[in-house]
Amino acid sequence: MAKNELNNQVRRLRFEHGQMTQQQLADKVGVTRQTIIAIESGKYAPSLPLAFRIARTFGVPIEQVFVYDNEL
Amino acid sequence: MNKTKGESWIYFFLGLACFLIPGAVAVFIAYDRGISFAPVFMFAGIVIWGGLFWLFPFIEKKVRKSQKKITFDERDQLIHKKAVMAAYVVLWLYFVAACVITWCVVGPHGSISVNVMPLTLLGGLVIFTLAQGLATLIQYGRGGKDGEE
Repeated sequence: MAKNELNNQVRRLRFEHGQMTQQQLADKVGVTRQTIIAIESGKYAPSLPLAFRIARTFGVPIEQVFVYDNEL
Repeated sequence: MNKTKGESWIYFFLGLACFLIPGAVAVFIAYDRGISFAPVFMFAGIVIWGGLFWLFPFIEKKVRKSQKKITFDERDQLIHKKAVMAAYVVLWLYFVAACVITWCVVGPHGSISVNVMPLTLLGGLVIFTLAQGLATLIQYGRGGKDGEE
């Protein structure tokens, strides 16, 4: 059975960018804090535009924020 | 608790109330069969459901108009969409059950009061509201692991 998972480095990047809070990141990318929490915990896979907005906020390419693991 | 989740709690309890109140009235009617309260009950149900349930989002929107904080985003939209789909499934099952149960109770040659039709419709609206609220709350995980503290 194939197991698909989208891992992310949002939490680590937040702390590397001056201890940015979830609320600050949420305000910058235009979502609620609950959505940031859900993304960080892997419960919600963001849309492509939102993923790009998060990556641009941290000033890194999108593949450094989100990693798609496809384990067969 | 965000806007959608707060509304879902309200929808859930309103839906539940719309079940409990008619239930209590139905018991009373069954107890005292001499006088029919069906028209009064139907009118009250429509006023409660239509008035409180539908007007609330508009009132709430007016109150929150001044606030610029983001309270609804793509995740909320997705949850709302899934909840509506789940509610439609429940609504369909309810109508199927209502038809089959009526047929089973009165039989193929029986007859029912015309009051049953609007009551069934009202029940469907309440069921839809209740199912949508419940589905939304389940998807939000009741705030547990989402850490909405």
